[in-house]
Amino acid sequence: MATHEKVDVAIVGAGPTGAIFADVLTRAGKKVVILEFGPDWSHNDFVSSEIWGRRLKHAPRFELAGRHNPGHGSNAGWGAGGSMLHWFANAPRMLPLDFKVKSQYGRGLDWPISYDDLAPYYDRIAIDLGISGDAEQEKRWRPVTAPYPMPPLKTFRHGEIWRDAFKAHDIPLAPMPTGINSIEYKGRAACRSDGWCHVGCPIGAHGQPLWTHLKEARARGAEFRPFSYATRVLTNTAGDRVIGVEYYDDKKEKQTQEASAVVLAAYAAEIPRIMLNSATDKHPKGLANKNELVGKYLTCHTGASVWAIFDENVENHMGTTATQLMSYERYAKDRSPKGFGSAFYIMGNALKPNAGIAGARPDLFGPPLAEFMKRAVRGLARINIYGEEMPRAENRVELSSQKDEFGYPIARIIHSYDQDAIDLWNNSLDEGLAIAKSANPQEAWKGGGAAPGTIHLNGGTIMGTAADNSVTNNYGQTHEVANLYLAGSGLFPTEGALHLTNTLMAVSLRGAEHLAKNWSTITG
Amino acid sequence: MDPVKRRTFMQGAAAGALAFTVGGVEVLLTPEEARAQGVPLKVLKADEAKALEAFSEALVPGAREAGIANFVDQQCSVPPQEALLTLRIVNARPPFVNFYRAALTEIDRQCQAKQGKTFAELGADAQREFITLLRQAKHADWKGPPQGQVYGIFRDDGVDVVYGTVEGFERLGVPYMPLIAPKARW
Repeated sequence: MATHEKVDVAIVGAGPTGAIFADVLTRAGKKVVILEFGPDWSHNDFVSSEIWGRRLKHAPRFELAGRHNPGHGSNAGWGAGGSMLHWFANAPRMLPLDFKVKSQYGRGLDWPISYDDLAPYYDRIAIDLGISGDAEQEKRWRPVTAPYPMPPLKTFRHGEIWRDAFKAHDIPLAPMPTGINSIEYKGRAACRSDGWCHVGCPIGAHGQPLWTHLKEARARGAEFRPFSYATRVLTNTAGDRVIGVEYYDDKKEKQTQEASAVVLAAYAAEIPRIMLNSATDKHPKGLANKNELVGKYLTCHTGASVWAIFDENVENHMGTTATQLMSYERYAKDRSPKGFGSAFYIMGNALKPNAGIAGARPDLFGPPLAEFMKRAVRGLARINIYGEEMPRAENRVELSSQKDEFGYPIARIIHSYDQDAIDLWNNSLDEGLAIAKSANPQEAWKGGGAAPGTIHLNGGTIMGTAADNSVTNNYGQTHEVANLYLAGSGLFPTEGALHLTNTLMAVSLRGAEHLAKNWSTITG
Repeated sequence: MDPVKRRTFMQGAAAGALAFTVGGVEVLLTPEEARAQGVPLKVLKADEAKALEAFSEALVPGAREAGIANFVDQQCSVPPQEALLTLRIVNARPPFVNFYRAALTEIDRQCQAKQGKTFAELGADAQREFITLLRQAKHADWKGPPQGQVYGIFRDDGVDVVYGTVEGFERLGVPYMPLIAPKARW
């Protein structure tokens, strides 16, 4: 085992949140090491191929339990840039009501911060990352404090075809804010609308850490160590300070990186795994887990897809993986006649034959599949409705009896939707189908199977007001160990019903600046 | 592999080509070309490849000729973190060839038990009926990987080789990487 020279900060994970911490802390003059499970990507590596794009996804193996297993393989990242290398670049904001669910509805949990606390950070992320959109059109749903730095992306027929149908159902639409350049921005090219965003955009139109925070942090000296698998966070004898990270390098050799502060910015299921494996006599239930809340309150989004085939060519190969249009009109959590939680409408993302199109009718095989493919590449379009589930402690990460290659327990993810989430999903499918049919397609149908699928993974290390209700404070600083910060959607007490990359970046920026500003106090 | 050579291989991958070993030399071929040239299999046995082709062809017409056996074989021969199979992102435990072997073995065991024939020997109607039950996870006494997963993974692989390549896009009339002239300003 080798022990590396002590640095100021060791960050586990090189996705958007780790990159933001690295960016902020190197700006503050700190010496930073980033430990990343996957490889070091550059834009020269990317290939416009749905098949090749799987190279960007390689989550560690988990033990899965419960009725609705998270689709972590599609969501997690692998390597420099993390999941943002293949994110669809939808960048909506959570709404004020998302932060006060318990107070407003008597269910779920409250965040320890409000929308107003986060709004300045949302506005800054929009500038730093580059977000295209029309904030004026979002005013009916949220307070607007600043315009987006770029106009919306251009639209195509497979998005526009829905406008009249939604109008008929009194559901206003607005351009989806996207982390994709609609115009040249900060030296990065404008999008070419070729729909290959999620397999690694080689021209820089797709906003992600390789072009922004990670690039800048590395330019200021942050050291990036690829193929570094973190196993434990190390603490001092008293158990009140973290002193570094134990990890295995690309040669499978154990290493220790000592640090004055540690930031865990890995995938939401991996942070609890590392914390629970970091148990000591001072932290017998796992690091910062006195109240046994580490791993608890996992949430996933349901996705209700409604598909339709139109007579005309809707150009569904054009555009971006981000959707063209969105609506918060069904976002009030008690609005649905069935179930409980927010619903969020999106529509108009580009489709490729061997992903979105073949997946639109997973029941078809043989000659009927071949016939469907020919029709669908011209006329297929989709409405998608994301749904929220309320946090419940029984949805959790714990340690498995199965071990990783180094002898440590892997994470066991236990997740099932409650009836409210399922009812909300069914209601969204019903309403979505009614809307789709009013657009006069050849045919329209509900996607998916008998149970909702899972999108995204949130919670597990939630933030709150005190140690008895949460793992961290409102900055992601753990209640029990002051120089340990957590980052990512694992911090979110509730999930809303939408894409959370924008929010997790804003929360991370706020947390990172708190650490930088209070460095002397926090690190002693 | 040096960066330039690696990049060349990556660009090859964009066109649906993979690195196959022919006569001791690594060359870029599409799975379809590899099949046509009779590139030797590295991992799958001949009977396994035959069973894979028959099952995949029934799922996705054109999969056999598009080189499904060479595709799966090549992908199972590389380190799991380099594989591009759908199996890579569904929490499967490597080596991935174990999944294919277990599934194909069970498919033929089921067919033998019920029809006295392998899947490849069944007629089209019987194959369709078998797959319908598989998709619905209704084969009793099933001993392989979960039936729904077998249906989904083999179907995805077939869709990849038939529709996910440049040739596949062309067959459907879909531009692979269009340079799009905007029809209107935003």
